[in-house]
Amino acid sequence: MSSDRIVFRDVSKFYGEVLGVNKVNLEVAPGLTGLVGPNGSGKSTLMHLMTGLLRPGRGEVSVLGVSPDCPEELFRLVGYCTQYDNFPNGSTGLSFLRFALALHGYSKSEVDERAWAALTRVGLTDAATRRIAGYSKGMRQRIKLAHAQCHDPQVLVLDEPLNGLDPMGRAEMIDLFTALAKEGRHVIVSSHILHEVDVISDGVIMIHGGAIVAEGEIRAVRGEITSHPIQVLIRCDRPHIVASRVFELEHIVEARIVGDEGLLIRTRNASDFFTQFNRIVIDTGVIVETVAPADESVHAVYDYLIGEGLGGGSA
Amino acid sequence: MTTPDALMRRRQALTLARYEVRRSLFSRRSLAVYLLVGMPLALMLLRALFMPESMRADASSATSEFAEVFHFFLLRFVVFFANAMIFVRLFRGEILEKSLHYTLLAPLSRTVLVVGKYLGGVISACLILVITTTLTYVLVYLPHGSSGIQLMLSGAGIAHLASYLLIVVFACFAYGALFMLAGLFFKNPMVPAILFLGWETLTPFLPTFLKVLSFVHYLVSFAPVPVNLGAFALLARPVPWWVALLALAVSSAVLVFAASRVARNLEVTYSAD
Repeated sequence: MSSDRIVFRDVSKFYGEVLGVNKVNLEVAPGLTGLVGPNGSGKSTLMHLMTGLLRPGRGEVSVLGVSPDCPEELFRLVGYCTQYDNFPNGSTGLSFLRFALALHGYSKSEVDERAWAALTRVGLTDAATRRIAGYSKGMRQRIKLAHAQCHDPQVLVLDEPLNGLDPMGRAEMIDLFTALAKEGRHVIVSSHILHEVDVISDGVIMIHGGAIVAEGEIRAVRGEITSHPIQVLIRCDRPHIVASRVFELEHIVEARIVGDEGLLIRTRNASDFFTQFNRIVIDTGVIVETVAPADESVHAVYDYLIGEGLGGGSA
Repeated sequence: MTTPDALMRRRQALTLARYEVRRSLFSRRSLAVYLLVGMPLALMLLRALFMPESMRADASSATSEFAEVFHFFLLRFVVFFANAMIFVRLFRGEILEKSLHYTLLAPLSRTVLVVGKYLGGVISACLILVITTTLTYVLVYLPHGSSGIQLMLSGAGIAHLASYLLIVVFACFAYGALFMLAGLFFKNPMVPAILFLGWETLTPFLPTFLKVLSFVHYLVSFAPVPVNLGAFALLARPVPWWVALLALAVSSAVLVFAASRVARNLEVTYSAD
């Protein structure tokens, strides 16, 4: 059955006695989705299950309606950049891509054309005929990205794809992922750098201890966390006046002056606050420079839900 | 008529086979295989250098000498272990190298994956072992001078060589299938390989109903010159060539099929391997 979603239905995976992921139910829509979680949380397991490198002990996975048990169909749709930093012995960047494309069944001329196009996209044309064993970490990361996308897949699964890249390389790759997502493709990125996930992702999946703790647009996820009041940062010319007025509101938990012109509000009812805040501005005549949510970020949501520092490993 | 799907699968299998041939023949890992197949050649060279004059004159002994070298050294040791080294590494080598996932991420069925790799292994093993057997054959006859060369190039000499080469090719198919499966099953496939070598070595001393469970029992039925297996060998009625061929073909096919079933459930968990 054709679909534009990646679907996990009650999926569990155990490595012997060790939990990989447990009772995962997910529907991932097209766009750029960030997958975040601490070391050993199940991020890589989830990605392996999506691409058939692991089989679920229970439940079903389907990628755009295709089961990972049908690699002939699946890998025409999916490209996967794994975290493994190993390559076939003796391969050059070009021969590595040529072999992968030849396995897709492309003609010789198309293999060459696509291999060079992928190498150009990741900026490795000069090193194409050099052995991968002599590549830097960043170059190895780029050749893996080239491998994942050389056949123009509809779904790109990228496990820590920005590892080892320099700032310029990171910016280039982020632009590439964003462009691919804008074309209506699925781009699923796991990263331990929450700031990057925040900047690039349309949606986020948070995983902890093998279970999905949150899924969806980051603002919507934040809105559902009722245990932590929402923070709003206001920059205006007379913050103390605004502070005294907002304290009168029932749902305000905290109002704190930050610097000369900043006011940090914590409220249990954001929509009501914004309505009332308009009235305060009109009544007091304060000049407001900005009003912005202070904790509608992946980092904040992650802290609220998981509350641990992130490392750089995999699950 | 060949369907586009069948054409695609054939193309993919041939791509894999070519890749495996390159890896088996020209990579650093093939050095061990070349050292192994160099052993009979080195031994035959030493034999040629230090052969007494009285023996050089008697070319007729070369036929039985090669038969013994073939049965006890080439077939049961060199061919056996060369196949083990080549075929075990088809999967296990890539698992240890942590690069198997690149092949598993290609749009090809696991059956095509197994068949392509097997084909590559068979081509590599046949190339290496056919050349080794031919050179060993030549080195056994060469020290006997012109009479040895005449005997080697005679109709019977060529027919003998052809039979030995046929055995080597069949051995590559049969042992290859077995070792490829072992490479999928066992973390250290050399242990079962050595156990199986023990079984193959014991075959002459086993009753007929157990002999049929070994490859060497069928392979030697193609041998042009019988050899004396010792006083304790239990002689069995020779297997007709077509039975031997059928047994080897069917067992190879069954083993390749079993390998494709195992590969279908193959998972990438390098840390566990």
